[in-house]
Amino acid sequence: MIPIPPPPPAIVAPAVPSPAPSPAPVQAPERSVDTASDLRIAAALTNARVRVDSGFSGASIVLYGAVFNPGDQPTDVVVVVRGPDAPVRLVKKTRNLGVWLNSRPVLFEGAPGFYMTASTRPLSDIADFGQLRRLGVGLDHLRIAAPEESRTVTRYGVRDVVVSRLGEDYLDWRRAVIRLREAAALYNTDPEGVSFVDRGLFRAEVELPTTAPTGIYNAEVWLFQDGAPASVSNLTLTVEKVGFERDVYEFAHRQPWLYGIVCVLLAGLTGYLASRVFRRF
Amino acid sequence: MDIYLPIAEVSVNWAVLVMLGALVGFVSGLFGIGGGFLMAPVLVFLGIPPTVAVASQASHVVASSTSGVIRYSGQGAVDYRMGGIMALGGAIGAFAGVEVFRWLRLLGQADLVVALSYLLFLGSIGCLMLYESLTEILRRLRGETPSRKDRRRPMWLYGLPFKMRFPRSGLYISILPPIGLGMLVGVLSAIMGVGGGFILVPAMLYVLRMKAGVVVGTSLFQIIITTAITTVLQAGRNQTVDIVLSMILVVGGVVGAQVGARYAGKFRAEELRAALGLIVLLVGMQMGLDLFVRPSDLFLFAPGISDG
Repeated sequence: MIPIPPPPPAIVAPAVPSPAPSPAPVQAPERSVDTASDLRIAAALTNARVRVDSGFSGASIVLYGAVFNPGDQPTDVVVVVRGPDAPVRLVKKTRNLGVWLNSRPVLFEGAPGFYMTASTRPLSDIADFGQLRRLGVGLDHLRIAAPEESRTVTRYGVRDVVVSRLGEDYLDWRRAVIRLREAAALYNTDPEGVSFVDRGLFRAEVELPTTAPTGIYNAEVWLFQDGAPASVSNLTLTVEKVGFERDVYEFAHRQPWLYGIVCVLLAGLTGYLASRVFRRF
Repeated sequence: MDIYLPIAEVSVNWAVLVMLGALVGFVSGLFGIGGGFLMAPVLVFLGIPPTVAVASQASHVVASSTSGVIRYSGQGAVDYRMGGIMALGGAIGAFAGVEVFRWLRLLGQADLVVALSYLLFLGSIGCLMLYESLTEILRRLRGETPSRKDRRRPMWLYGLPFKMRFPRSGLYISILPPIGLGMLVGVLSAIMGVGGGFILVPAMLYVLRMKAGVVVGTSLFQIIITTAITTVLQAGRNQTVDIVLSMILVVGGVVGAQVGARYAGKFRAEELRAALGLIVLLVGMQMGLDLFVRPSDLFLFAPGISDG
């Protein structure tokens, strides 16, 4: 297998030179001035705020946008949605004396809680390996932060061994994170997820499962031409608990002891009431 | 029918949860146990994270035990002094158990210990109960008179200091064995999310030799206190108690428990013990099986990242 170098340390949004001689930067603010000479992309979400309440059963958000293409060279659109980063701990089952036991956990310091790409064609047809790796586009190029050096972190008296220079092994662990998240519908790649409804007008769907983490999501909408990024549009999406769900969650985290006592009292009271009610029968 | 659980952060069918609560409550009322050992595996199967399942079902045990104690208390079948002494040990055990559980989660070994405890405790107790009750049933079928039970109490119970009188249990013994028993149950309550009635009841009968009439009521009383402490500790230390989940289970559970208690009188005691022994043994084997079957994916996420 090809030894893949560890991903670059930080996301660097490339300053892409516009093919047109216009001095306007690519990420120009939306204006109604004449931009006909620029190759650029604009996008928006139908719903930038996903509310998680007691009836929440996942959400489907439509992302739509337009490509302004003055020339007639074909272009490709790639939509990347990233959920908030969170540390991930993973264990591997190993067989010892006929019994399956957990290995020591390996900690990845940050992996997106949600990641999806949707594109007009398979990503490998749109741009080459290096380009995708540089932009961090696609599950194969997803940045999952593992510390550069192997070091030990002591937490709560437990040595959390963090190994990053695992070589081949590191890739196994990394692939496992992606595979498990894909199985939970949290990571997703759809090579035909972006469809053009009209010349220059496209749409894509973001499917959030119920297990999607809350927080701020970033959506990048890339326009590729000739295998190189020509323009990008950045959007944000907020997933938040609302109403009763948020109140309970905040109560449980801000005043955990009081919350526990309330839980016990409610349970005891229900038991008491039940025995009162049933005595009548 | 689906409801989103704020702490577990998954969406589940609430009608299924109510039925599960009622079913476990029925078993609990029928046999005079908490029934936690039945509930945790089913909750995990429904997709609820194991740590949340274990911590949240403890309130279900509190509710069904409360309604049980009130019923037994009316019959004078609760030894509050003995229960209180055991609960003291239970509190210490719960404290230690919650800390051990935290530590195991950080090590990534929580599943292993939970599976092993289920296999070990449920397996051995299930076997013992099944063996004991089947011999009794066979003896009755053959028309033999029940053998004289060995009523002698173990001598070491009398050699220990800090003796106390327990009039309702008909005992004058050291308080150390009840405290030790309570501690064991407290640890199990935190790690397995169970009340521990399946250990307490046989131990109170065969080791402490308490009067049979007060055993179930007293064990339920002790279980209320231990699981209440466990719930508060799990909520305070680990933030893994889902009040929505536990209330749904509680509502089904209290109804099931009352119906179960009504049916309990229709069966012979040894038949009930044989059925319970079989259930306990099957659950223990099912949980233990995971240790020997090749997992479908060798990798899995280890919970417990939120604690710093």
